[in-house]
Amino acid sequence: MMLSIEKLRKAFPLEEGELVAIEDFTLDVKKGEFICILGPSGCGKTTILRIIAGLDTQTSGKISLDGKIIKGPGSDRGMVFQEFALFPWRSVRKNIEFGMELRKVPVKTRHETSQKLIELVGLEGFEDAHPHELSGGMKQRVGIARALANEPDILLMDEPFGALDAQTRNMMQKELLRIWEETKKTVVFITHSVDEAVFLADRIVVMGERPSSITEIYDIPWERPRERASMEFANLRKEILAKLEMMVRPE
Amino acid sequence: MAMITIGTIKRGLITFIRPSDVSLKTDRRIQFVKTIIITIFSLSVFIGVWWGLSLLIDTPFLPPPDIVFEALLDSFIRPDITTGRTMWDNVVTSSIRVAWGFALAFVLAVPLGLVMGFSKTVESFSKPVVEVFRPIAPIAWAPLLLIAMGGKVGPIIVIFIGVFFPLLSNIIFGVRSIQPILMDAARTLGAKRGDMFIKVIIPSTVPYIMTGIRIGLGIGWMCVVAAEFLGAVGGGVGQYVQFKTEVNRFDQVFAGLIVFSILGLSTTELSGWVERRVMKRMGLK
Ligand SMILES: Nc1ncnc2c1ncn2[C@@H]1O[C@H](COP(=O)(O)OP(=O)(O)OP(=O)(O)O)[C@@H](O)[C@H]1O
Ligand SMILES: [Mg+2]
Repeated sequence: MMLSIEKLRKAFPLEEGELVAIEDFTLDVKKGEFICILGPSGCGKTTILRIIAGLDTQTSGKISLDGKIIKGPGSDRGMVFQEFALFPWRSVRKNIEFGMELRKVPVKTRHETSQKLIELVGLEGFEDAHPHELSGGMKQRVGIARALANEPDILLMDEPFGALDAQTRNMMQKELLRIWEETKKTVVFITHSVDEAVFLADRIVVMGERPSSITEIYDIPWERPRERASMEFANLRKEILAKLEMMVRPE
Repeated sequence: MAMITIGTIKRGLITFIRPSDVSLKTDRRIQFVKTIIITIFSLSVFIGVWWGLSLLIDTPFLPPPDIVFEALLDSFIRPDITTGRTMWDNVVTSSIRVAWGFALAFVLAVPLGLVMGFSKTVESFSKPVVEVFRPIAPIAWAPLLLIAMGGKVGPIIVIFIGVFFPLLSNIIFGVRSIQPILMDAARTLGAKRGDMFIKVIIPSTVPYIMTGIRIGLGIGWMCVVAAEFLGAVGGGVGQYVQFKTEVNRFDQVFAGLIVFSILGLSTTELSGWVERRVMKRMGLK
């Protein structure tokens, strides 16, 4: 067991009263596991990820990583954002080296590591390009490499492919699985797409309407790469979609 | 994997060789020639109207363009009888004043603006003072400053005041405009407060600093005129204009105005060019 979330609760103070985003969320993530979190819009998925990343604090509950209580951001957790959040004034290489610069890694090691990561995410030839010269898919490759450069134990991804077109998205899913298999990282991946979750995850965590906790967990022990056209894929997809639809109350 | 093979081709090939590039180039050239022709035409119309008006009204206050251009040329070639200075000397004097006032404003406004934008404490301390001083037109300070600090330093301080506030506001605005998600990203990568300041705040504020410089220099040229009118020591284009007005040499007054126009315009163009270069170097387009 590596990431442990226990009875997490998050309430945002409002002008009057409070908005309870998350209520009683408990989850253990095993080392090397690929977890997808699914849930209706506004149910608190981003909030959970931000709390794990240390960008936000919970109202109550306990989160620990390998037994260590999480207090603030740390290089043991890497985050990948839907909006990419690359530094526009830095080249691809310099974006990837950002975390290593902060940790005062010697220049030579820094270069070697960034070169390896550039190869890992398939960005050879674009080392000196700036973010505005890259396509969405390439930007997110930089985002992934940048997060990996700190050698985190766990990768937190908030709808990382949400801004990409369908084709690029499918390709990036395959690429991510390849990277995941090569680096053996633990991944917590948030998505709106049931299809994406079934394609990627070892386990799918489905969250309910606010105040949200876990409604259902699906284990997917299938081998990869998974065949979207297969019967079992389609069936599971249908099942989860039905579950989600039931949860969203008609307005 | 498809992506990797694309990746190994050099970047230049993919981004720059497009069949449409050739026609794009000629398009741009045609556009450029068009702009030049229109500019020449518009200036000719302006000079024509000026000429017509000066003939029509026939007043010494509006000399015709040919006389003015003659006076302009003459002012550069021949030293003035009373002051012994050529226009060139005046240009140098005024430029040095603008440069000093601007430099002073820059070294103070940039760090102060960055820190004010970044730190709530510093901001709440300095904001009342800044807000009290901001609405005062820089020129309003000029008479006092010229008496108090003399004709040499006084004008520089007037320019300093003129440049300082717009530059400061622009920088504070720049720091405030940073996307919060960039700060989040930096924090997840291990950035502490100091790192954030150096590696995120400063670089993302550069475009706003550049804009501040461009606006500030424009204001600097306006302030130097006022300061020189009110009694700077040692010449300057403003003093030239004022003096020539007093002795009724309106052709030379207009020559001075044209010099101001050229100076202001070339400063703006130059800082615009530097701005674009810096942005390009930083990869910000
Ligand atoms: N800083 C905040 N202050 C107040 N309310 C907030 C704040 N951040 C988020 N919320 C609210 O908390 C709830 C959960 O937000 P969150 O962004 O985590 O949802 P999400 O599941 O990521 O949604 P989406 O699928 O649209 O990305 C929302 O109702 C949101 O309006
Ligand atoms: Mg979200």
